[in-house]
Amino acid sequence: MTDLVLHTLRCIGFAELSRVAGASGLDEPAVESQLIDLAVDGLVMRTPGEFRAWGLTERGRAEDARRTARALDAAGARAAVTAAYEKFLVLNPELLDLCSAWHLRAERGIPAERVLAAFADLDGRAEPVCAELTAAVPRFGRYRVRLGAALGRARSGELDQLTDGLDSYHNVWFQLHEDLLATLGIPR
Amino acid sequence: MSHVHPLRPDTAAPAAVLGGKGRGLVELLRLGLPVPPGFVVDTSACRAHLRDGSFPAAEIAAAVGDLAAGAVSVRSGAEVSMPGMMDTVLNLGPAAVPDAVRAVFASWHTPRATTYRELHGIAHDRGTAAVVQAMVFGNRDDRSGTGVAFSRDPSTGEPAPYGEVLFRAQGDQVVGGTAATRPLSDLAEREPAVGAALRAGLSRLERHYRDVCQVEFTFESGRLWFLQVRAGGLVGGAAVRAAVDLADEGLIDRRTAVDRVSAHDLASARTPRIRAGGEVLTRGQGASPGVAAGRIALTADRAVRMAAAGPVLLVRPHTSPLDLHGMAAAAGILTGRGGPASHAAVVARSMGKPAVVAATGLVVDPAAGSLRAGDRVLPEGTLVTIDGTGGEVVLGDPGSTTAAAGPHLRRLLAWA
Repeated sequence: MTDLVLHTLRCIGFAELSRVAGASGLDEPAVESQLIDLAVDGLVMRTPGEFRAWGLTERGRAEDARRTARALDAAGARAAVTAAYEKFLVLNPELLDLCSAWHLRAERGIPAERVLAAFADLDGRAEPVCAELTAAVPRFGRYRVRLGAALGRARSGELDQLTDGLDSYHNVWFQLHEDLLATLGIPR
Repeated sequence: MSHVHPLRPDTAAPAAVLGGKGRGLVELLRLGLPVPPGFVVDTSACRAHLRDGSFPAAEIAAAVGDLAAGAVSVRSGAEVSMPGMMDTVLNLGPAAVPDAVRAVFASWHTPRATTYRELHGIAHDRGTAAVVQAMVFGNRDDRSGTGVAFSRDPSTGEPAPYGEVLFRAQGDQVVGGTAATRPLSDLAEREPAVGAALRAGLSRLERHYRDVCQVEFTFESGRLWFLQVRAGGLVGGAAVRAAVDLADEGLIDRRTAVDRVSAHDLASARTPRIRAGGEVLTRGQGASPGVAAGRIALTADRAVRMAAAGPVLLVRPHTSPLDLHGMAAAAGILTGRGGPASHAAVVARSMGKPAVVAATGLVVDPAAGSLRAGDRVLPEGTLVTIDGTGGEVVLGDPGSTTAAAGPHLRRLLAWA
């Protein structure tokens, strides 16, 4: 029941309630109630102070690895996720090239619309990979929604949504990368 | 018309045919500098191969036969440099050369290379050349090694050769940042003849190109070989200083010096740089410009906690989304792995924080609460400063300055 919230926190790092809800696709009261249950079990904790946020404990991290691996094998999805991860690894350096091109566009004389077009092109090729992942493990469908939303915001003029900010295209992609590693149990 | 060109001083074909790497190797030979024997399968062969599958198999077989090498390398090299975008295959048997050349040609069309050309406005129909050379082994023995060198310091523009060397290693280990590299002074000490030949070669190249040059080199059992040369490539304050010095040395005129410096170089010449004089612990690649001083924290959680008491430098082997809160709390970010296009670099730039990535010989041990940088072991909490332009990692806080490029910048602006 609390698997999705635990795993979302595993992939996004320290986060406030609203970010956990946004990343998981659940509503805030449901997420908060689950976070409290997880905290009672010692799997997550809330850090006070300036960086007030929810995060996993060491035990929570181990428990997530156990639950995620069990669910993956129970669904018989390991081979499909591994195959999609191989495709992701081909796209990943290109996405990082694009993020750097975006940041350094003034220095390199690259027009902004050219980078945006290249992001859209890459996104079109990432879509079938996300679809394969979602067919194998439905929770991956949330990344497709979040990546599409970030690109949509960038295309409607919020250009910082490509690389900057917690819901930017890069940041969602970074979390997808982390999710694939965590799901398959691959160390970075 | 032959598609295969021997690497010889009298090979006349331009970079459009031989590729930038192939043309550079011919220039090295023209200057009397040592280059492993080899040949170039040209860009027109690539275009034909990609168009209709044709392939100069017989010509390549003959050239491989002439080479009579036990092992060869096959490297891509387009007219316009596309670093890291296409294939390189090392240590092949001669029989495997045709397939490797085909693979290099095919790598022109990978989506990543295609996107790179889209971004940089490079035509998609040019193709790449393939450079086939006898292997030289930097890992042969204790008198072997490999490295990269610049004719002037790429961080400051200072007119003295700068470079890094790895003894008993192959070239990919320098670029990969997996082992701790040594400064060129170590090469001069351990292999004085190689060090002297390298310096002389850099000086000859600089006078030929009338610009700062960068080379890749390998030495095998005490014998130096040049594997690549590229002219230019300095940015910011280093570009300003090099242009002014080259004009003073009479290699270029003042008008050329002014033309070589971009508006962006002028702007970034004013970016603060680390003040010289501190003990340099290691160097990495500058990934997000600016200077940051702080006490080192080895995990994101520690960075958040320590930040309450003053500026913190987050030091990680690499970064994951789990480090984001630590990056947000830190004044700067230092990683042992990755590159200028890594997640860490992207996030640091998006947060506007100085970052150095791929610092050589950096071992982060959060469990022991210590950081190893080359020969030094630093406990968590040690004050360290990074320069996200030049990639320096310095013990303590030597301060920062915008004055380094000052006199050169003023003179250049007076010439404009």
